[in-house]
Amino acid sequence: MSAEPALLSLTAVAQAIAQKRLSSREVTQSCLDRIAAWQPRLNAFMAIEADAALVAADAADAALAKGKLSGPLHGVPLAHKDMYYDAGHVVSCGSKIRRDFVATTTSTALQRLKDAGTIRLGSLQMVEFAYGPTGHNAHYGAVHNPFAVDHITGGSSSGSGSAVAARLTFAALGSDTGGSIRMPAHFCGVTGLKTTYGRISRAGAMPLSQSLDTVGPLARTAEDCALLLGLMAGADPADLTAVARPVPDYLAATRESIHGLTIGVPTAFYVDDLDAGVAKILDETIAVLKREGANIVAVELPDQRQLTAACQLVLAVEAAAFHKRWLIERPGDYGPQVLMRLQNGLAIPAVSYLEAMRWRGPALAAYNAAVAGVDAVIAPVAPVPAPTIAESDVGNSPDAESVIQRLTRFTRPINYLGLPSLAIPSGFTRGGLPVGMQLIGRSFDEAMLLRIGAAFQRATDFHDRVPK
Amino acid sequence: MTRPTPKEIKAMTDVVGIPVDVEVATRIANSIGPAFEGFAAVAGTLPFDLEPAAFLLVQSAKVEK
Repeated sequence: MSAEPALLSLTAVAQAIAQKRLSSREVTQSCLDRIAAWQPRLNAFMAIEADAALVAADAADAALAKGKLSGPLHGVPLAHKDMYYDAGHVVSCGSKIRRDFVATTTSTALQRLKDAGTIRLGSLQMVEFAYGPTGHNAHYGAVHNPFAVDHITGGSSSGSGSAVAARLTFAALGSDTGGSIRMPAHFCGVTGLKTTYGRISRAGAMPLSQSLDTVGPLARTAEDCALLLGLMAGADPADLTAVARPVPDYLAATRESIHGLTIGVPTAFYVDDLDAGVAKILDETIAVLKREGANIVAVELPDQRQLTAACQLVLAVEAAAFHKRWLIERPGDYGPQVLMRLQNGLAIPAVSYLEAMRWRGPALAAYNAAVAGVDAVIAPVAPVPAPTIAESDVGNSPDAESVIQRLTRFTRPINYLGLPSLAIPSGFTRGGLPVGMQLIGRSFDEAMLLRIGAAFQRATDFHDRVPK
Repeated sequence: MTRPTPKEIKAMTDVVGIPVDVEVATRIANSIGPAFEGFAAVAGTLPFDLEPAAFLLVQSAKVEK
């Protein structure tokens, strides 16, 4: 048993509490101690609810003493991106506009985790309205990378990436519309699962783009992500886009070998113009997968630049539509970059938007045909490791959109196609910055990605490294 | 599909009811221009009877290796 409970994985700590090797209070206090030590350097939390968390932990311990285990995450303290409605709590969405918004409902994903026994540590910072890939926030300040505090975390799930990496929470919900789970996972050295569009209900999660938004976890391991996905996935009458497909045993998938699987490496786009450190780590990751028994083959994908462009057209219009009322009534309450990006959506004709929406089916069919011979594709999450906070603080400057597009060019095609993608810690640069790779799978085949990710993590220790 | 000009963007934002000045319209043109250019090869080429819901049909189809 680790001397510091907060350093355990989600799966391990849940078992330790259930088997009474640790109390929920001990675990919660351990997280709170780390939060107190790290929050001044990271700015990862939006709200820290120490007293309420300890009260809930004591209640969980008392229930367990009476033999009542509420679920597989009984008494496990977690914090999530501050965009998941939690009845009675302020949900700021990282914004000034919703600074005092008190939710009257609880999001389905969050409720399912509560039903499994989790308790609330507080809420996590995020990019304003989840619209930005760096982790800057004009209202609440940038979140800092625990491995190098003058570097970005990535966004928009900035607090989730930072807090999971620093072991302040065992896992955290993020959301991924253009890369917002995978970018922080890559930059902060944690595991992040962007789920298939429709796999997890979005009810009660702040919307950004209804055609692209997905809910998913950031955690320390693929096994932890599997545990969380199994609890959250499935149909929901409050969100008819959450499909009624069976929910596989994702945890069982993580225990399977990858011997004989075929993993594709793109011949272009995802391997172009990479930072030398990222390119080296991609090669090393492929070598590990090969050693574990996977067959590695080259795959020629359809033009990914068109997918990126289509994603931008859809995202910009849908975000602007959601925000139209506030764009009219409260434009001065947005940060400069978010206002700038919302305004972009006002200038895209409806016909262009609908063409981008109509093309999704054929584009996905073409992608499926291209990867028909492989079980998953591996690619970098981003072409570079985390830039500094200062150098990526582009605000609403004329080149801001091009900076954003460069950072997210490997993530957006996947959102447009609605595919699942698992970002896994894959190495560190010479300067000590984490680098993640993404495994991209077929629609609703998260189990395959978790299987490959877990096998990679059995063979490596990048996910176990704790920032000092 | 060509990128809209600042003048066209100004007219569009007026119609939407959220007018922007020329400077912002110019910035928007530069921001969204690459998306229009990136999608140009697809725009105007889609079959007549293709609708957005086709995505869900493709997504739910069984794909075997």
